Amino acid sequence: MLKFLKQVSDYTKEAVQAAKYIGQGLSVTFDHMQRRPITVQYPYEKLIPSERYRGRIHFEFDKCISCEVCVRVCPINLPVVDWEFNKETKKKKLNHYSIDFGVCIFCGNCVEYCPTNCLSMTEEYELSTYDRHELNFDNVALGRLPYKVTQDPMVQPMRELAYLPKGVLDPHGLPPGSRRAGKLPEEIVEELERQSAKDEPKKEDAKK
Amino acid sequence: MPYQLTLLKTMNPGIDLQGSFVQVLTDLGLPVGVAKVVWIPLPMLVVLVGATVAVLVTTWLERKISAAAQQRIGPEYAGPLGMLIPVADGLKLLFKEDIIPMKADRWLFTLGPAVVVIPVFLSFLIVPFGHNLQITDLGIGIFLWIALSSIAPIGLLMAGYSSNNKYSLLGGLRAAAQSISYEIPLALSVLAIVMMSNSLSTVDIVEQQAGFGILGWNIWRQPIGFLIFWIAALAECERLPFDLPEAEEELVAGYQTEYAGMKFGLFYLGSYVNLVLSALLFAVLYLGGWEFLVPVGAIADWIGVSETTAWLQVLTGALGIVMTVFKAYLLIFLAILLRWTLPRVRIDQLLDLGWKFLLPISLVNLLLTAALKLTFPVAFGG
Repeated sequence: MLKFLKQVSDYTKEAVQAAKYIGQGLSVTFDHMQRRPITVQYPYEKLIPSERYRGRIHFEFDKCISCEVCVRVCPINLPVVDWEFNKETKKKKLNHYSIDFGVCIFCGNCVEYCPTNCLSMTEEYELSTYDRHELNFDNVALGRLPYKVTQDPMVQPMRELAYLPKGVLDPHGLPPGSRRAGKLPEEIVEELERQSAKDEPKKEDAKK
Repeated sequence: MPYQLTLLKTMNPGIDLQGSFVQVLTDLGLPVGVAKVVWIPLPMLVVLVGATVAVLVTTWLERKISAAAQQRIGPEYAGPLGMLIPVADGLKLLFKEDIIPMKADRWLFTLGPAVVVIPVFLSFLIVPFGHNLQITDLGIGIFLWIALSSIAPIGLLMAGYSSNNKYSLLGGLRAAAQSISYEIPLALSVLAIVMMSNSLSTVDIVEQQAGFGILGWNIWRQPIGFLIFWIAALAECERLPFDLPEAEEELVAGYQTEYAGMKFGLFYLGSYVNLVLSALLFAVLYLGGWEFLVPVGAIADWIGVSETTAWLQVLTGALGIVMTVFKAYLLIFLAILLRWTLPRVRIDQLLDLGWKFLLPISLVNLLLTAALKLTFPVAFGG
């Protein structure tokens, strides 16, 4: 009898606990309803990509020395470097260069290892086409620069979360010129320089 | 009690639309029989249109509330606040090609959605919005709803079986199993209410809760019953914690998989009408139906207006409709909130919950109600 009663009481406790958890879950969902939507209405509003955004790769034809480092560091040897050896100048001459963005995973290894910095990442991400072969960019297409979101009159640029002022979560209706939280990278550099300039004379004094 | 009931009916404080309508027509020279025949289709039409509009509003609300719970905006461009989106959805389904799979059973496939939808609409017969504001005040009111709601699983099974598709069949079987196992706790919790109000009629059930405003509602006298009813009603409507028959992650869309166009639309409509209906009946059974938070009659007495004053009758009638609909939508809101809070249960958990938890608890609730009725006949309707 006692065992049975204990079972009943355990069962009741479990049921009450389950109900409590459901209540907690409901309160969380209810709380979320008061938060403002974070939707960015895409074709009319676009997020400004961050500085280190890894978008479509840009290529500068004249800087390339056809060393093929980009091919070697690429996980799937994607860039196609078409060059021939010029016997008179004893240098490689680049004829064509292409990357297929239908296959590229935008890891940025080629950009990292390029000895002459002729490869770089852009902020372009709208790479949709009707035919995947259209994504095979040749050196002319790779040399084009993307249109900036902030300069497009048809688009309302939106800041990403990290670029919003402190405590602000919604990029809509931000007053112009409002600063992001924390110091900007150039400000940090400037500060460091000033600091070192202040420290320099002291050291010289110490030497004397 | 029967004497009291007849007394209540004779001193009927609500507006009598039928009486006034028949009166007007007979004054115009029509015989009483013809006037009554003219009257009969009107409330049906109103309720049918009302139910459809309620479904449109519910789908819109579902999208908007879901969006808010997920910090999205939801439909925005179709009409103000996207309010025309259900109309657009409906039109799309209406004009879509109606595909019947080649190896499906043509007859059962077509019959399935109809068998699911028609009983749900028929159940609106017994939903009261005021003293005389319902199609019929049936003596077996709430029993009719329970009887009609057990027809739907047959339609679901038909749809699942006739589609000739394994997902559909599984979905159909699950729907049937679910509906059958949750019907029993549902009926038992309703039975406790019926026992307290001594009547199956929905009007009498509301009458029995009237008089003390919010304090008189059955929700205080049936704290276990209303929980059981709500869980079982969610399961009957196949709402999210119990939407196994459709379970899009595992069964594609369950019994709806092979359906397209208006036949799919009928299933969709059916499930939402069922939700609205369950919410309305919950409001009637537990939240005092058309009753306001404070008794309107008492206020009228207090400011010295007779209960038979025309403008007061119109006001209470309108307030009754507003209150019923408001309570129902509050419950629909809760259902939508639950949808985004709770994960879907497994089929074995579902049946466990139905047979091993809800059924014994509802039986205990019934016994408890009977005992309380015998000991405190004043509070529990002796």
